[in-house]
Amino acid sequence: MPHQCTNCGRTFADGSKEMLSGCPDCGGNKFQFVPSTSAKSSAAARSRERAEQVSSDDPDGAISRGVETVREFVSDEPSDDRSWPSHDDAETAASDSSSGEFAAWPDSARPPEDRSSAGEEPPASGTPSSGDEPSSVDTSRAGSGTDADTVTSVDDGVRRDGTEDVAQADARSEVVSSEELPAHSARPDDEDERPDHGRVVSEPSDDRPSLEELREELNDQFESIKILRPGQYELNLMELYDREEYIVSLQEDGRYVIDVPDSWRDAE
Amino acid sequence: MGLFTELKDSISRVTERLFSEQEPKRIGIYGPPNAGKTTLANRIARDWTGDAVGAESHVPHETRRARRKENVEIERDGKTVTIDIVDTPGVTTKVDYEEFTDEMSKDDAIRRSREATEGVAEAMHWLREDVDGVIYVLDSAEDPITQVNTMLIGIIESRDLPVLIFANKIDLEESSVKRIEDAFPQHETIPLSAKEGDNMDEVYDSIAEYFG
Repeated sequence: MPHQCTNCGRTFADGSKEMLSGCPDCGGNKFQFVPSTSAKSSAAARSRERAEQVSSDDPDGAISRGVETVREFVSDEPSDDRSWPSHDDAETAASDSSSGEFAAWPDSARPPEDRSSAGEEPPASGTPSSGDEPSSVDTSRAGSGTDADTVTSVDDGVRRDGTEDVAQADARSEVVSSEELPAHSARPDDEDERPDHGRVVSEPSDDRPSLEELREELNDQFESIKILRPGQYELNLMELYDREEYIVSLQEDGRYVIDVPDSWRDAE
Repeated sequence: MGLFTELKDSISRVTERLFSEQEPKRIGIYGPPNAGKTTLANRIARDWTGDAVGAESHVPHETRRARRKENVEIERDGKTVTIDIVDTPGVTTKVDYEEFTDEMSKDDAIRRSREATEGVAEAMHWLREDVDGVIYVLDSAEDPITQVNTMLIGIIESRDLPVLIFANKIDLEESSVKRIEDAFPQHETIPLSAKEGDNMDEVYDSIAEYFG
């Protein structure tokens, strides 16, 4: 039961088309995907269905379904998906499917209300987990369905994939390669994506220097007197000149006494 | 204890400020450390009031609190110009006690350093609202193009304060008044030796003309 209506809780088997027109019970159009190994099936069928989706346009249901698709995809796919040439989906998925965010989608990219199995593909459309480079996009897409095995982890980064949702991209790839897409949709979003991942990997080593730099910068910007150690000071003359209050006395312990304007005293 | 004295001083300064609106113009003597500001202030004060303003020293940052000599009456061509002279600590962007450890104990050097830093802060603050004109003193034996000089003169210009540049220490061999004139051609430069009393007539003429 990989799909569950977030409204009433009804669950659907992976590959189920019931939910494609909204939840039959409550009409809800948001579903969450519960990963399961069985979900990695029938990729080929799914991509066919996806092709159908792409060919028609239907606003609301499609949007939420697309969002759901992306979310599911995100939750189940390896991070390499970010290499897919789109970016809008990322925000949409992240912001939990407010339909307005899909306005930027080309009409042709909007799936029909009754299209099939948008929800199924999460596990399937599998892009290879190594596919960080844009060049990997085509192979991964062409191989959708067979790549399912490479799906190994949940990764937030996947959400950044782009203007196409997974189903759309998958379907489109059967007709047009990513290189032929207009520039805006073909643009890989790796730049957006990588910082997140890079931070996870390198945070321990990188953070310290950047903190120091930041502190340096802040010192330059805001400190009028920098106490290097007792007896050694650096003065920001412009800051000292600009301040309304001025430092009357520096204390040994790093505290200092300031003289504040009369107007400040009155305010107390 | 020292803190209270300083606080008291600072409050009394504030009070003075409030009641000194109609007082003579306050002329701040600014410049980098060891340019001879106190020597100049003392010379002016001695010449016209008989008192000195403060102690002079070859060790930088001898003046660590702005010191004022009030009601200095300078007579020029039968007219009398009355000014308050404010001798300020040498302005710098770095104070390091290790510069003074040859001259004094480490503790004293650290204290001197701290007080000098406070003094610079005070001097910069006074420049903001407490002076009506500036005498900018430079050691003519030193390169005048420094960050501090450029910044301070820039600030003074931005406040539209009348400013005279004094090329001090012309008694030194390495002295070059022209170097200062070239560095700040937009301002009048007056050569002098405050220590030797050289060219003081022109100094007083200029003060009377600029700040009278």
